[in-house]
Amino acid sequence: MRKKYTIPTWFAFGWLGFAVFLAVFGSFLPVDGYQVIHGDFIDSPPFTPGHWFGVDSNGYDIFSGIINGARLSVFIAVVSVGLGGAIGSAFGISAAYYRGRYDSVVNTAFNVVLSVPNLVLALALVAVLATNVDINEAVPTWRRLATLIISLTVVIIPILGRIARAATLAWSGREFVVAARSMGMRDRDIISRHIIPNVLPALIAVGFLAVGVVIIAEASLSLLGVGIPDGASWGGMLARGRNDLEYNPHALYIPIIALAFTVISTNHVGDVLRGKLDGREGRL
Amino acid sequence: MRATFWLQRLAQLLITVFFVTFGCSLLMQLLPVSPAEVLLPVGSPEERELLTKEIGLDRGPIGYYVKWLGEFVRGDFGDIYYSGGREAVSSRLAVAFPRSMLLMIYTQILALSVAIPLGIWSAYRVGRRADKVISNTLFAMSSIPNFAIALVLVLLIGVRLQWLPTLDYQPYSAGIWEHFKHMIMPVVSLSVGLIAAYTRLLRADMIATLREDYITMATSKGLSDRRILWRHAFRPSSITLFTSAALNMGGLIGGAIVVETIFATYGVGFEVFAAINGRQYIALQSIVGLISMFYVLFNLVIDIVAGYVDPRTRDRRVNA
Repeated sequence: MRKKYTIPTWFAFGWLGFAVFLAVFGSFLPVDGYQVIHGDFIDSPPFTPGHWFGVDSNGYDIFSGIINGARLSVFIAVVSVGLGGAIGSAFGISAAYYRGRYDSVVNTAFNVVLSVPNLVLALALVAVLATNVDINEAVPTWRRLATLIISLTVVIIPILGRIARAATLAWSGREFVVAARSMGMRDRDIISRHIIPNVLPALIAVGFLAVGVVIIAEASLSLLGVGIPDGASWGGMLARGRNDLEYNPHALYIPIIALAFTVISTNHVGDVLRGKLDGREGRL
Repeated sequence: MRATFWLQRLAQLLITVFFVTFGCSLLMQLLPVSPAEVLLPVGSPEERELLTKEIGLDRGPIGYYVKWLGEFVRGDFGDIYYSGGREAVSSRLAVAFPRSMLLMIYTQILALSVAIPLGIWSAYRVGRRADKVISNTLFAMSSIPNFAIALVLVLLIGVRLQWLPTLDYQPYSAGIWEHFKHMIMPVVSLSVGLIAAYTRLLRADMIATLREDYITMATSKGLSDRRILWRHAFRPSSITLFTSAALNMGGLIGGAIVVETIFATYGVGFEVFAAINGRQYIALQSIVGLISMFYVLFNLVIDIVAGYVDPRTRDRRVNA
């Protein structure tokens, strides 16, 4: 009795699949790298032969930039949401299952982190972690990437951790959990057999929303110039396109469209999954 | 009951602010280089030595924090150092804070005054075409990051049509219209996402409220739909909405970093960014501490307000 997906949902799945495809196979496509300069095509508009999305005022092909940006966005989003979700739900589930003082410590910690706006938190962490001994020496790209992922993971931990905690609280009061406990099942097994399978769907649904949060945060950081340098990500493309609004608006709105489509898709998928969950709960 | 409630909330506030600021000061200890070196990149060793003493970095993590906290509660938020001088963080914030505050207030007013009628209307027409159009449009809009809206506005209204200035902030004294001219675009770009979020919250709560018995009762008494929606259904449905609005206030004051940077409004969000870019970690610690304080404070205020709007929440919240 599965409810059929609607057309927008297929669209969202399609777009996300496409982004993941670009991220994984982008480097095998017959497209120039994003750092190749096409001197003869500077400022050419979209639909120029050979440059579907046009070229920006530095001579970078925008289509190549979108592909590379997809790779970065997908990579950063998957890694930091995966890590943050794992750490957050480990704390959230154990806190809600064991309750007591440990629970209030974890809950306070989540509240403390949540009281700092997302972007401020990420910025502060990036600033401290990417500080070099020598101010004139550029921070290598891999370290910036690692810094970015760590910071965004910290942002995600309390968001998903609280969801995991709330869901666990609801499930651990259920009869089958009480029954399992009264039959002497070990806590470890109750958590892995009964709690996690029930909490996971809610986490996955919110995880999609968290992917949207991470993608926007990464773009914001790059726009502010503390993300991945050289305009490699979508946010970086925006930062570069901003300087040239008048003559080259497509360098701005193409990355914006890519960003908006991706975030709309993740939010929509998250929403649909959550809706299905509610339906399942309702039938019980 | 009430006394313990307030004590609990107050303790919560203090604990949160304590941990946030302590975390910030620990971050500073984690720096791979000595903070004095970061704060004074061009200073001589003697100057750095002096600075280390002055801000208490020689007292270890705890001693440093205690000294910072003592100054923080007395309103001394430390200094920003740059080549050839220093400036008190408090004097920077005296400029930035009112701007952010105004930006936040305008944004909330705009967002709520659009979202409330929309939310009520789409709950009233739930499942009909109007509801579907509103909900789907808002859903798409809520997913577009605010800086994307800001950049598109700059491009269309600022650069192409040249209707509004794209940069800078003007105080009231420069003329009311001048003031608002510089605020319209930042406020709109911050509101769009909020409008969507608020409408959604209100719609969901309104739908639930409209199913209650007393609404059926009001209908059968022959009251007009308009009166029922606004007088009977809106008030009990608005609590989640106002709670979420209050939670957003802290974020809007310090978190509008990108929008404030794009429009050069130079509010608190911009100061956060400037502190990070200039590696002024003392300023960062103080500002982040203030932001989180506001967040918790607004949280507290909304609990009081919610208690008045719907007395039922008072006890529920104590137990939660």
